[in-house]
Amino acid sequence: MPALDTLLAGLARERSTGALRVGRAGTIFMDAGRVTYMECVDTPRAEDVLIASGRVSAPALRRAQREGGGARLVEDGMVTKGELQHCVLGAVLDAAYFLLPVTGSRPKFRPGERHWLGSHWYFEVEEIVRECGRRRAQLAGIWPSAEVDTAPVAPVRRLPGHRVVLNDLQWEILVHADRATTPLELAMKLGRPGYSTLVAVRRLAAAGLLARPEGTAPPPLPRRLGRTEEPGPRPNLDAPTLPLGPVVTADPTDINLLIRLKKALEELS
Amino acid sequence: MLGLDDCLAEVMAIPGALDAMVVDHTSGMAVAASGGEGIDVERSAAALSEALRHTTDGLAQTSPDGTIRLDEMLITTDKGHHLVRHLVTPFEGPLVLYVRLDRERANLALARYRLQAISGQLAK
Repeated sequence: MPALDTLLAGLARERSTGALRVGRAGTIFMDAGRVTYMECVDTPRAEDVLIASGRVSAPALRRAQREGGGARLVEDGMVTKGELQHCVLGAVLDAAYFLLPVTGSRPKFRPGERHWLGSHWYFEVEEIVRECGRRRAQLAGIWPSAEVDTAPVAPVRRLPGHRVVLNDLQWEILVHADRATTPLELAMKLGRPGYSTLVAVRRLAAAGLLARPEGTAPPPLPRRLGRTEEPGPRPNLDAPTLPLGPVVTADPTDINLLIRLKKALEELS
Repeated sequence: MLGLDDCLAEVMAIPGALDAMVVDHTSGMAVAASGGEGIDVERSAAALSEALRHTTDGLAQTSPDGTIRLDEMLITTDKGHHLVRHLVTPFEGPLVLYVRLDRERANLALARYRLQAISGQLAK
């Protein structure tokens, strides 16, 4: 089965109009070969964002869904043209980030089907694919381990320093983190884009504000004898039984150690 | 009423404007850009977002109550002025409206006034 972006590129070449359903994962709407809307079950849809913003009421939204689409919302003065475009743009790229890697379901294209919002922003397929790649690289640049993306968000119980600077979304995440909810579940709960939430979570991880996910105990850095808490990255050369550096096994925690080392080295340079 | 794409023409009509961009701050993505010689839009959008983030963090620690809300940023370099406006939209964001101005030809007061008017048309 071809990857989703290959399939989309084909639809773009044929200048197709319609909806591509990707199993239960989401739907991609195209207008003459360009993507106009995308939704993914894991990310808030444009209508969720509109409602969450408090600017559009549920009845007004239903009215627009029945007749007039997004243009009706603008005509009725609920949002400006620029705001609607920004909302659609944000929702589409957010959905794309999580929907494009989906495999395992057979996508079905229904020609002619349109989304009720109408077309408010046009994306070339390759533009979306490139932006998703850029976002992936951006996340890796903030904090290189992807395990925090799917693990429940668990803030450390004690600040590793005296003072910390947070942005608004990071604050909301920390307030709502109950050590059981994953970043994407939090995003849905807060009505925030999934990708922005991942950015915020990785920044928290990079700042050392998140406890390590369960099952990935800190890698076996050489430690002072008699200390039980997480050791600092200072090798104890006097310990006779330990080789220099950690024991190398096929354990995934070795990978984590490498990732931490890489990050630390990058910060030094 | 202005859209994200057509507002750039308005921004570029500001006397002394050299290039302009609309950037989504959280993702660091260029939503629209006027382009210009030697400008890598993707890179400048990401860099501008980083610059804004660090400025906000730094100013938050400088201000007495530890929190900050950025409206507008103005930086003058040897070559020109960089004018940045935070656009609060009800959705994720903020959107950032950026314009680089010629130091000789631009009138800063006028540019700020015009940029403010454009943001007002873009978002409520």
